Amino acid sequence: MTERTGVLDRPGTGPAVRRAPARTSPRRPRGAVARRAALSVLLGLLALLTVSPFAAMFVVALSPAGKPTVPAAWPSSLTLDNVVRVVSASGFLTWTFNSLVYAVVSVVIILLTASMAGYAFAKKRFPGRDAMLWTFLATMMVPFQATLIPMFVLISDLGGVDTFWGLIVPTLANSQAVFLMRQFIRDLPDELFDAAKVDGAPEWVVYWRIVVPLTRPVLATLGVFVFLWHWNDFLWPLVIAQSDEMRTLTVGLTTLQTEEIQLSMLMASAAVSVVPCLLVFFVLQRYLVNSIAMTGLK
Amino acid sequence: MRQRLRDPITGLLFVLPMLVLFLIFRIFPTLGAAGMSLTDWKISGEWSFVGADNYARLLDDPNFLASLRVTLVYVAVYVPLVVLAALGTALLLNAVVFMRGLFRGMLFLPYVTSFVLAGVVWKWIYEYNGLLNGLLAKADVAPVKFLEESSLVLPALALVSAWKGFGYSMLILLAGLKSIPGSYLEAARVDGANAWQRFRRIVLPLLRPALFFVLVIETITAFQTFDTIYVMTGGGPAKASYTLIYGIYDQGFKFFDFGYAATLGIVLFALVLVVSLIQRRLLDRGER
Repeated sequence: MTERTGVLDRPGTGPAVRRAPARTSPRRPRGAVARRAALSVLLGLLALLTVSPFAAMFVVALSPAGKPTVPAAWPSSLTLDNVVRVVSASGFLTWTFNSLVYAVVSVVIILLTASMAGYAFAKKRFPGRDAMLWTFLATMMVPFQATLIPMFVLISDLGGVDTFWGLIVPTLANSQAVFLMRQFIRDLPDELFDAAKVDGAPEWVVYWRIVVPLTRPVLATLGVFVFLWHWNDFLWPLVIAQSDEMRTLTVGLTTLQTEEIQLSMLMASAAVSVVPCLLVFFVLQRYLVNSIAMTGLK
Repeated sequence: MRQRLRDPITGLLFVLPMLVLFLIFRIFPTLGAAGMSLTDWKISGEWSFVGADNYARLLDDPNFLASLRVTLVYVAVYVPLVVLAALGTALLLNAVVFMRGLFRGMLFLPYVTSFVLAGVVWKWIYEYNGLLNGLLAKADVAPVKFLEESSLVLPALALVSAWKGFGYSMLILLAGLKSIPGSYLEAARVDGANAWQRFRRIVLPLLRPALFFVLVIETITAFQTFDTIYVMTGGGPAKASYTLIYGIYDQGFKFFDFGYAATLGIVLFALVLVVSLIQRRLLDRGER
């Protein structure tokens, strides 16, 4: 599920600075170049080790079926057969479509509602504001899995099992998104909003013409995260999307695994399912990396 | 004056959509979980009030007690593993200049994928006829049943989650490292402090808040692990990876004992809360 529970704000660096114990004979480290090179090699090896499961997955996915279990580091023949067969298998495209709907609709609605709420919390005074904000914060501490059962009962009583709205709507209440937007909008200068008010602009115009354009970078970041959270989400789709036509890709992948399926087909399915994540990653890597460092968004 | 009323009304209107979502889908189910834990709620929707029966049942339920132990062991294996992986790679990234961007990207890559994908790929890696045993065979090592051996299954699962997740903590720690002024380290170097002393006396104290943040987040993540277990072991072998969350899913959607499953949810909430508060306390003490 999308909500991350946590009690801490992102920390800055601590105040404690301790002096290192003084030594009498200052000396420059010898062999600094060699050490640096060794560290680079070590880091490179760790990086290769980290991506090697993906490499193995892609090699098997793109190799003819019935190859030995240890994929060759440099495969002799590559084929798209497995991928074509996976994509043309009945369920796969439906699952992909469902995952896309789940992710994209959630992105749109969360960006809209969270930025509206963030604007109100940041720049408006209204009764109960701080109490609401605290309640939003407090719900972050409740793990989604702790409320899984009542949530399921609620949605099934409302007739939402095996529907898109039943899948999507409960995942939209996202306090991380609200807090991120509030934090960002609070830093926008008040003069901007005062000027618009003096001009007599209606509030929705202020929101649409000032808040939205000025928060575009943070909206983009949040959008990427919400997309990944939903695309990769599993437990909620598992319990709510029960029929084959409503399954998302993550749930569909697990059903493939329990059937008698060739390894090459399973890995081809897995490889296709990860393509959107990889696209997001390659296009927006710098963005993702910076926003985690700056906001702690997870 | 119109202006004085305008702010509260627009404020409320702008909050309203998210507020409604929150009331219905966060707050109501939270209260609902507490309420349901006091009933024998069935899948038919029939229920009667049973007081604290479900909580009394917890103490006599060997599956629950075993799942608590499994959960705590898993947390105890996963958290040090992921924090050390994140810290080690962050330190290396901070020290290395050569192709740093590329390496950082490669290390971060698993984070953007799903736990389900990680589970599917690593299940194959761990299988008796899988990749890892294939590689071990080439080195003349007898095959290992990573997922079928009670003593190996939790470390094996923890490794998968750590592989999938350490990139996040690595970035948080890297940001912490970058904010340490180079002049401190330079001064220590001039004073003759070696690399270990500089790490121990300067880097570690200054990194402490970021480390605590990572520790809390990863502990909570560990308590919530479900996807990889569902994909790779189904709680097995012989319930050796049957965690608290797996129990919630099992009681709810295999036995349809909603009242009891909700009770397990409350236990999970209490556990996460207690651990967070303890770590918060430690953090506050550490900062003083």
